[in-house]
Amino acid sequence: MLRDITLGQYYPIDSPVHRLDPRIKILLTMAFIVCVFLVGSPLGYLPIAAYLAWATWMARLPAKMMLRSMRPLRILLIFTFVLNLFFGTGDTELLRLGFIRVTQEGLYNAIHFSLRLIFLVIGSSLLTLTTPPVTLTDGLESLVSPLKVIKFPAHEMAMMMTIALRFIPTLAEEADKIMKAQSARGADFTSGSLKQRAQALIPLLVPLFVSAFRRAGDLAMAMESRCYRGGEGRTRLHVLKTGRKDWLAVASIAVLYAVVLLMARYV
Amino acid sequence: MPITLEKLSHTYQEGSPFQATALHDINLTIQDGELLALIGHTGSGKSTLAQHLNGLLKPTAGRVLLDGQDINQKDADRRALRFRVGLVFQYPEHQLFEETVRKDIGFGPRNMGLSEQEVEQRVHEAMDKTGLVYDEVGEKSPFELSGGQMRRVALAGVLAMKPDILVLDEPTAGLDPRARDFLLSDIARLHREGTTVVMISHSMDDVARLATRVAVLEKGRLVMEGPPGDIFTQVDRLTAMGLDVPQASKLRHELEAEGIVLPPCYLLDDLADHLAHRLKGGAADAT
Repeated sequence: MLRDITLGQYYPIDSPVHRLDPRIKILLTMAFIVCVFLVGSPLGYLPIAAYLAWATWMARLPAKMMLRSMRPLRILLIFTFVLNLFFGTGDTELLRLGFIRVTQEGLYNAIHFSLRLIFLVIGSSLLTLTTPPVTLTDGLESLVSPLKVIKFPAHEMAMMMTIALRFIPTLAEEADKIMKAQSARGADFTSGSLKQRAQALIPLLVPLFVSAFRRAGDLAMAMESRCYRGGEGRTRLHVLKTGRKDWLAVASIAVLYAVVLLMARYV
Repeated sequence: MPITLEKLSHTYQEGSPFQATALHDINLTIQDGELLALIGHTGSGKSTLAQHLNGLLKPTAGRVLLDGQDINQKDADRRALRFRVGLVFQYPEHQLFEETVRKDIGFGPRNMGLSEQEVEQRVHEAMDKTGLVYDEVGEKSPFELSGGQMRRVALAGVLAMKPDILVLDEPTAGLDPRARDFLLSDIARLHREGTTVVMISHSMDDVARLATRVAVLEKGRLVMEGPPGDIFTQVDRLTAMGLDVPQASKLRHELEAEGIVLPPCYLLDDLADHLAHRLKGGAADAT
């Protein structure tokens, strides 16, 4: 049931990639995404694929996990492929079925865009698989903190995200417990018409909201009693550090850029 | 209608990096009319075990038999089962949701498909059994009540289904002493009137007072099982597991270390009798 919800996709092991500075990892992922868009032809994805394979290996992630991250996107992927294949422009006809025609350019685009999508998703899930959500928010806070100059509430935003993330598993657990408690009184969440099922959620949602508000009150009280008053002058327990391995990671993406750009020009 | 657990094992999130074995090869039979107490350290698998008794959790291995029937069979009616085995969760007041106490207690019976009249009658009965006064709180919102009263409303919500077996997961946790005594005497009365009760508890004195049999879980395994007299006299073993023992057992054990050996006992009243007897005897010796 709800216990299966794991927070984000974080895969809790230790690897050089897991240990990278989250700020660097976020920036690298952004650079990687730009890089994927620089690829000009299906063949140009070879270095991208090689780089991802290397990064996955470095992160000690099972290939299965990477493929699983594709699952929510399969519909979009099929659409991208089919639309490009059947409704592409171009003159070199390969196949004709009534008003549907498959052209060489269409096929080329279908492969090109599908590959682009696949690598974008795998590349960004590498970030979420190797970084705990709270570390990710820390990294984001640090990256957007220069915007404080224009009164952007960087700390408050990060604190809100951290609290929200922190409470997802708690509330999921709570929901699971309430659902079981109501099932023990014969509540049925799985059958009936749409209206019946929506009504069946009331015994779940009311206690869940009550408990969420209670927890929010408790948390606010606990923060106040430890003198929390926003981000000003606040120091951190875990100071983000950029070290040698981070610069190595930057170097690796620079190499990827060089290869991709060279291939775009000469291949 | 005994419940038998056969080689029951349960693993949470099997096959993921978060995999955790909560129960390991449990064999246990819950006999009709007994009050079985489940004790064990936090995380020993007590709650997981309780949730197997009415089919909320399915065993990863092994079987749960009710009257000799496997409750997790494909064609088993799991909803009907839940009306026969009533499970009261930890902090059950967190499950209250209706506008009035009356409606909330009626939730279970209504799910059973009873007529409004029957539901109403069951609500009355359940409130009587839990010491709630219908005319006083029946039309109140459950959220206006005190913690102890909310707990009783939640218990009434399960009792209203008239289960043959009542499973209680730490029924007295977080209650003040008065509310706690009320609830425990309710449970004792239900047991006397013939309901089979399974109670998870951290309070060894409550267990000593109420239970007819005690089962001890440690790290998902059933390590001890028997009448309270057999369990609570093994003070060293329980203490080694990080468990408490009833005050009487503790005192008797300490006296024994001082060379004052009393007959085995675990209830304060018995201990007082033994002590009184010995003191009188001692006085007789001196003269």
